[in-house]
Amino acid sequence: MASIARICPRRALTSSLKPTQSLRLLTTASIRTSRPTTTPLSHHSQSLSKYQSYQTRRPYHSTLHPALPVHEYTNSQIAILEASLAHTPVHGFTNTSVLLGARDAGFLDVSIQLLPNGEYDLILFWLASRRGLLRAAVESGEIQFPAGQDVQSKIKTLIMKRMKMNEEIRGQWSDALAQMSLLGNIPLALTELHALSNDILTLAGDTSVDASWYTRRAAVAAIYASAEVVMTRDPTPDMSETESFVERRFEDKDILAKKVEVVGQCVSFFGNTVVGVARSYGLKI
Amino acid sequence: MESLPALRRSALAQCRRQSRINSPLYLDFLAPIALRAQRRNASTTSPSGSSKPRYTLSKEQREYLDSSLRVNQAGELAATLIYTAQTPQIVRSHPHLRPLMKHMYDQEAGHLKTFNKLVAQHQVRPTAMYPLWEVAATFLGWSTAALGREAAMACTEAVETEIGSHYNDQVREILLWEADAEQRGEELDDELKEMLATFRRIRDEELEHLDHAVAHDSKEAKPYDPLVDVIRFGCRAAIKISEKV
Repeated sequence: MASIARICPRRALTSSLKPTQSLRLLTTASIRTSRPTTTPLSHHSQSLSKYQSYQTRRPYHSTLHPALPVHEYTNSQIAILEASLAHTPVHGFTNTSVLLGARDAGFLDVSIQLLPNGEYDLILFWLASRRGLLRAAVESGEIQFPAGQDVQSKIKTLIMKRMKMNEEIRGQWSDALAQMSLLGNIPLALTELHALSNDILTLAGDTSVDASWYTRRAAVAAIYASAEVVMTRDPTPDMSETESFVERRFEDKDILAKKVEVVGQCVSFFGNTVVGVARSYGLKI
Repeated sequence: MESLPALRRSALAQCRRQSRINSPLYLDFLAPIALRAQRRNASTTSPSGSSKPRYTLSKEQREYLDSSLRVNQAGELAATLIYTAQTPQIVRSHPHLRPLMKHMYDQEAGHLKTFNKLVAQHQVRPTAMYPLWEVAATFLGWSTAALGREAAMACTEAVETEIGSHYNDQVREILLWEADAEQRGEELDDELKEMLATFRRIRDEELEHLDHAVAHDSKEAKPYDPLVDVIRFGCRAAIKISEKV
């Protein structure tokens, strides 16, 4: 069997094989071709689950050290996914796009099995690559923040910049949102959402080091996710409706934050007063 | 037989793909340009002017630094809160301890500031238990001070013993890296060297607090052993938790 596989063209062979066998052939072939392209840290990729193909955490950032590789896709996967993205404005985030992309990139139809989750892999690749482009836009100086701009307006700029990247797939994005809301897909969708809000806050220069680290990320993630839903039904060509929606959500967030702050101040003032009064009466507390 | 059309199609696709790469929307790289440029420059020479190449941190080492900075920040936060909660009650019954308590508090506040800066600089996630540690540390300081001066000092002794040995482990780990770097003919970067010096200084200051506590009758605390054991166990558990979350 193996010798036949070596002699025959793969396409002619796979059609006559059972699905499991063809998959095995294909994976061995892909391992042989794509292994040398991975980074020096490729032994980590084996310990990762097949879904976790890109880095969402960045441990210990330092300007003196090179960043760790940000993704662990193989080159063939990237080639297919990249070509598939070209079809998303027309065919949406579907298996059709993946298939057309694979053909465009010069792969056989059967090689869409390199992507075990099919369309969901395409969605995740879209999200992760746009996140990378957003980061690149700031780090290469494409987005310039005026001096003295506060963190919040930088965050707003970044959210709108990211939203504008969705321009071409606006009509298709509600399908992707539906995909992401399926039970099995939720964890990875949330991981990616967290990675995005983390990146936005880091790029905006937020330096919170206490519990607000979490609340800020949650707030940005909530605003971004709801803005995406609004975007899918936004009829304006320049997304002005989405932009004003984001503005309003930030106003809401400020009001909420102020309320929480006032309540906290009130409680701590009350507590301190009670302790102070008790101490002045001579209680040993 | 079917391989010929497939080949031709793939060749065509290559051409089509070439043309598409010029359009900006589909120019996809997960690794941003700036990062790739950085990757090229790093691992050459260090900016300090010395000729040795810089020691590159592995993924495990980064994760180690990540969790240890998180633990250190949480620890210093807890220490400042313990002293804040202890001071009013201790000073009330023993006014001569006011300068000592202030001295120890000021040092801990300085440590917290140092680690807040490091955590922000290295984009380390602060511990998710932050609010819980705040409450727990305040309660620990308040309750031991309510038990009296000796119990408060026993609390300081227990906490500083754990924290001191924890810092010592970190210093030892970084020294191991330094030895490794030496072996390869490389050297640690300036940030790490500075961090090593900071850890050593802070460890010595924590141990100084330990000496103060023992000098002020911490061993006289009434149920000495259970008290110190419980606090030390709590500290170790908190360190383990903060390393992860």
